[in-house]
Amino acid sequence: MSKKDSASRRLFFRHAGAALAAPLAVVATEASAVPATQSTELEARLATLGDENAIRALNQAYARLVNDHAYADVAALYADPANANLDRSVSRLSAESFGEHDTIDVAEDRATAEARLHCIVETETPLEPGSTLVDMARRQGEGFVRRSERRVLEHSYVKHAGAWKIARSAFRPA
Amino acid sequence: MQQVRYPKEQMHRIAYTKLTKDQIGEKLGAAGAGPTSASKLSGALTGKTLKIATDNGPALSYRFVSDDRLTIVENGGVSIDAGYGALALGPLVLFSHMVPGTQRGYHVIVDRDTNLATVFEVWFSGYADNREVQREIYYGYIDAPGKPPPKERHGLTNRVEGKGYFWKQDNGIETLEFYPSAIYSNFVELTRLGGELSFCGPSDYVKINDDLYVYSRVECEFSGVMTLYAFDANRIEQIGVRLGFDANDALEYYLFTGTGQWLGQIAQFEKFGDIGVPAVTGANGAPPEKGARRVYRPLKTNPIMTKPEVEAAIAANVSVFAAPGPMAGNRLPTSTFLTGKELTLRFDHGPVVEYRFDEIQKLRWRREGERAWHEERYDSWESAPGVVMFGHLLSGEPEHDSFTIVADFDQGLATCLHGTMGTPYMANEAAAKTWFGVIEMAGLTPPKYRRHRYTDELVGRAVSWNYSPGLTSMHLYSTPHSLSWIIFTDSGAGGLEWSGPASYVKIRNGLYLAYWLEEACNGTLGMILVNMRTMHDCGVGYHCGKEGLRLNSMGAHARHAGRFDVTRFYNIET
Repeated sequence: MSKKDSASRRLFFRHAGAALAAPLAVVATEASAVPATQSTELEARLATLGDENAIRALNQAYARLVNDHAYADVAALYADPANANLDRSVSRLSAESFGEHDTIDVAEDRATAEARLHCIVETETPLEPGSTLVDMARRQGEGFVRRSERRVLEHSYVKHAGAWKIARSAFRPA
Repeated sequence: MQQVRYPKEQMHRIAYTKLTKDQIGEKLGAAGAGPTSASKLSGALTGKTLKIATDNGPALSYRFVSDDRLTIVENGGVSIDAGYGALALGPLVLFSHMVPGTQRGYHVIVDRDTNLATVFEVWFSGYADNREVQREIYYGYIDAPGKPPPKERHGLTNRVEGKGYFWKQDNGIETLEFYPSAIYSNFVELTRLGGELSFCGPSDYVKINDDLYVYSRVECEFSGVMTLYAFDANRIEQIGVRLGFDANDALEYYLFTGTGQWLGQIAQFEKFGDIGVPAVTGANGAPPEKGARRVYRPLKTNPIMTKPEVEAAIAANVSVFAAPGPMAGNRLPTSTFLTGKELTLRFDHGPVVEYRFDEIQKLRWRREGERAWHEERYDSWESAPGVVMFGHLLSGEPEHDSFTIVADFDQGLATCLHGTMGTPYMANEAAAKTWFGVIEMAGLTPPKYRRHRYTDELVGRAVSWNYSPGLTSMHLYSTPHSLSWIIFTDSGAGGLEWSGPASYVKIRNGLYLAYWLEEACNGTLGMILVNMRTMHDCGVGYHCGKEGLRLNSMGAHARHAGRFDVTRFYNIET
């Protein structure tokens, strides 16, 4: 498949993702009533939507564990936990605009995927120690510089033994 | 004849005895008879029985046999006889008793109008320092047969935050008490300690109604004494109890009444509509342990160093105006005013120092009569037109001296804060002396008699300081000789608070040089030039810790937070 074809196909899946998940189940039950070529295409679409849903669940688990500061559990979501490389200053992740600009691109072979997730990232950077005020702030559970900004979280994924895992992650400016 | 009783040592210098649990048990023997009182005890409860139900706390059944004897049954247990005392304030009755044979007791506030009750369970030997009174607050009601439990409760509030009172108790004790935080308070002992310094303690503020509140504090890191009172914010009357051991380890357990004067109301910084108090949580969000509260214990994080430790730390590292830290996020830009100037500063009761400001951050200095020059790195800021603050170390001096100087070139005046490292109490604690003097230089004729001078103009004021994102405090210039600082919580409520000796010098109208010493704390000497017109300061921190000697810049944006009317209490009549 040409690069252009691949891009078009991904674009199709992207738009199909959330909106068609439920109707497709109905379509699938009627697949025997359609021609074989259409049936194959529907099966592929169904499989890819299943992948997208699995990745979506993975992303939600990632956000929940980051927000819980459960870093070991976050690392377990990665194919290689050493690649988790989590920015510990990130204190909270939340979806921006209900995730309507998010994309999940599943490769044609359904072995890898990529996602761009628009999110609000809240960070906490500890103040440099050395003064009484910072010491006191820390004693009451503070002493951080807190910021909130829009960013894009880019995940790449690999499928291992039928389950999706995160391969790498990076935050980019929105 | 001396009119004011000054202590031999101020509270932060007293080495309070680490009383053992057995010693405390022995000393509490007298408390079983109940508290003493200079005022006649109230008979409001005499002959009555009360069943107090509390939320998540004890069920207490009382029978008040007389004005000073009761029986108590805790949680349906055995009946115990105890001495008690009660006082009344409007609809409130406050009574207090210990449980004989134990190191615990109760201070109970009952509102006879609503039948609501607030119970402070108090105990000793609950912390590493056994003498520090611990407390847990329970909210509940008088359990009357046939009556459904009320839905309302008393509760913690920030509605007292920002208030300040002068209190005079029936036993002659006079204090100034400021509540600039939702969880801490600040008190000046006018009669006990002569009113030189203010001190801070973790505090509770409980709302009874819009007029009536309960306040309690424990003098943590000092004697550990608890002072608790109910007060009427309109009538400025109080009834209270004091429990603990004084500096001589004698038991203080008495009730008191008092009347006061309103000192004013300073600002609160919570969101509008927020009348709560930041909650205390346990580790990892777990429910807090019984008695848990936020307490600042400065010497836990700032260990006392010996002289050899100080010398070794300084030999290893001296940092002079290195990269600005969180205290300098909003500092003024370094000034070029002094660059290229040659001048002499002549201090009346200090040295005469010649300066050559060769570069923007490099100077040479020498004492008058000295041949050799000493080169130092310095920093400087022009706070107001013609007024420059600069600071530098005096490398090689035996006490690791520093000079922080405010030079007013319009008036030809200079004031020096001479910092030295080490006091008789701590080798890593700074000391300060103030010298007033003049500037001598080409084209400038200084005054013969006029000098900068000490001032009380800041006393009573509260000013918030934002040093950098995430780091804001409030200064309360609590007495002519002390300064308190309050850390805000995330909600904007005042949080932890501490206090140190201080001094205030007027440079010009609206321009003040202040220093504070973080004594029995991290030992820092903080020096700031406060410009009340620009609401900005510049300053120097002088500190020694395990990381070595440090001279650093400071700078913050200010907001007025109000003023307490207190100066009249500091006038000493002779």
